[in-house]
Amino acid sequence: MKKLLKHMSPLAPDDSGVSGVLYELGGIIVIIDAGGCAGNVCGFDEPRWFEKKSAIFSAGLRDMDAILGRDERLVRKLCKVCRQVDAKFTALIGTPVPAVIATDFKALKKKCEKETGLKCLAFDTTGTQYYDRGEEKAYNLLLEEFVTKKYPTQKGKLGILGTTPLNMSVTNAEKICSHYKEEGFTDVVCFGMDSSLEDIEKITSCEKIKVTAPSALGAARKLKKEFGTEFEYDFPFTDGNILEKAAELADKKVLIIHQQAAANKLRTLISGRQTDCASWFSMDEEYTSSGDFTISSEQMLREKAREYDVIIADELMKRILRNFKGEFIDFPHFAFSGRLIRG
Amino acid sequence: MTDAYYITAKELSELELKKIPDELKSSAHMIYSSPATLDFNSPGAKGFGVKRAALAVPGSVMLLVAPGCCGRNTALLNELGYSERFFYLLLDDTDIVTGRHLKKIPQAVGEILEELEQKPTAVMICITCVDALLGTDMERVCKKCELEHGVPTVPAYMYALTREKRLHPMAAVRKSVYSLLEKRKRNSAVCNILGFFSPLYDSCELYTLLKEAGIKRINEISRCKDFDRYLQLAEANFNLVLNSEARHAAQDMQERLGIPFIELTRVYDPDKIKTQYIGLNTVLGTSFGYEKYYETAIKEAEDFKTRYEGASVAIGECLNADSIELALTLIKYGINVKELYTTVGEGNYPFLKRLATLSPDTRIYSNLSPTMLAYKRNTHLDAVIGVDAMYYHSGIKGIQFNTEEQPFGFDGFRKLISELGGVL
Repeated sequence: MKKLLKHMSPLAPDDSGVSGVLYELGGIIVIIDAGGCAGNVCGFDEPRWFEKKSAIFSAGLRDMDAILGRDERLVRKLCKVCRQVDAKFTALIGTPVPAVIATDFKALKKKCEKETGLKCLAFDTTGTQYYDRGEEKAYNLLLEEFVTKKYPTQKGKLGILGTTPLNMSVTNAEKICSHYKEEGFTDVVCFGMDSSLEDIEKITSCEKIKVTAPSALGAARKLKKEFGTEFEYDFPFTDGNILEKAAELADKKVLIIHQQAAANKLRTLISGRQTDCASWFSMDEEYTSSGDFTISSEQMLREKAREYDVIIADELMKRILRNFKGEFIDFPHFAFSGRLIRG
Repeated sequence: MTDAYYITAKELSELELKKIPDELKSSAHMIYSSPATLDFNSPGAKGFGVKRAALAVPGSVMLLVAPGCCGRNTALLNELGYSERFFYLLLDDTDIVTGRHLKKIPQAVGEILEELEQKPTAVMICITCVDALLGTDMERVCKKCELEHGVPTVPAYMYALTREKRLHPMAAVRKSVYSLLEKRKRNSAVCNILGFFSPLYDSCELYTLLKEAGIKRINEISRCKDFDRYLQLAEANFNLVLNSEARHAAQDMQERLGIPFIELTRVYDPDKIKTQYIGLNTVLGTSFGYEKYYETAIKEAEDFKTRYEGASVAIGECLNADSIELALTLIKYGINVKELYTTVGEGNYPFLKRLATLSPDTRIYSNLSPTMLAYKRNTHLDAVIGVDAMYYHSGIKGIQFNTEEQPFGFDGFRKLISELGGVL
């Protein structure tokens, strides 16, 4: 059965993806759940929860709220929290409960904006999709709501889209910024990580955008189309260990499993060998080479793995690949395992 | 940003229980899942949530039937050695609306059994809010699995939506884990301790006292090494319930297996512990000697009071105690309880009334209030107790008092003052 996981835990879901993008932007983020989904986000998928405060709340739905569709209670609670916590916007993040009862997010958004006087970003996430779908929705909506004009281009200013712990397996932008400053950029902004909503509003002042995950590609394309901001698909490789190990792989057939931007970048860094990229998550067609593939099940990965001598992937995938005889190099991916890149 | 909301014990006690402020009622506001309180707001998150608790049946495995988001944090339990015991059947958008996934469960159980080298003793099917809303009859699905595969299959309900109901998820899962027991001949020299998913401390005097009362075998589910030992729980002459969340399971065992139950409450005041043991002696018709344990506890308590009288503490609710009862005990032995981070309800309201008399200025905060995002200490504290209190006061010495092994009785009280004395 494709949807039966026997050796791995579920991957980061779409509601976590939305929350990861919005986490540091100063909004009131409401996960429309009974408590469990907010627990999953705050207690697992959002490692910054233990380092940086953010106004993420659970709507605290109870059975009768769901059965009777008591949206007005939700709006009332949101108004109350808006009086208690300073916020630049509100966000409503869907989970399985509103999906089952078919919550009308468009109507809810309008009602919340009217009652609170703040912009409301509403996401019809369901908890059944992967995090990249949620991130994509969040990037697109942020642009739609907050990026309205072209600022004068600042020479040397680089913007990074896609910097969430789920994509990058880090909780702060320090190493990412250093990496790109070494490339000659003087001002590097990681949107959504160690930056603010104001930075996003001025995203069009960037000389260039680097997109570090497929979930942010749609937003980058929109920026290029509407404001002419150039972008490049890239990933800042800050972990030298993986590169050192990969340097010894001459003439071997290699499979890299990660989110597409990270996998693609690693492939270019170890060029000269026969290397394919794969991902549990979406892969943008424009950046997909022949031989690359999306993993749809544990069984599929087991079968495909037989074709390779080396696999570079999060080491928790070893549980799926117990019979894999080749070499395995660890490349943590938070959205897969909840493991951060340390050091 | 609004300052963190609090109310003093005196102010709160002057209100009736039904009139407690909205800020202390989780149903009346958004819920702040502070890093301190994640484990009890989310029924599967940390510690013994529904998922881990349901695997208390020795040799069992779990199939979580849910959207991916419900099982995501289960990876945390891998570190505790559960990685080979969890399986997931992921639901998609169509499943959660039509309920078509129910037909796939028997096949999924079959594939899990094929995968395992050793046949599990039971398969726990864990379902979540989706099935709560769909009104799924999981008992029926479990019976089908049992018929097809010959392995006992039991539902475990991780319904966060029902967290404030009388039969909330943590009470329901206690019923689930004892539901595989079948009626056996009762043995007058056997009793079960119900309430926790981990054992009492070996040093707890309750074991000795029960032996003095003629009990030769004291069972706890967490000490059952295998399924056979688990099945022997059905031989008990009575169940001793130490946590009210196990009351429903005990009632079920009384009805199905004919095992009556006696309920004790975990308290820390040595005089209250003594009163409970007197009551237990009366109910059992025994005369076990608790006195020496009482005397030792009182002696240590007086010593503690001499040393630390006047010290100030704050107490949270992520700990092995009821915060307000714990506060009353410490106040009795000379400690100033400045702040409590807790939930006030029917169960501890009588303690609150007493607290208002003894320490009217004690501030009561709700961990779940969004205003706790702005919490700042503005009082002097010498130490704090509880995981949550330690989070709010990272610069102050504290004790978590939240071990998996459960403190109880005079032994629990002695552990408390010994640990607290260690940081004061």
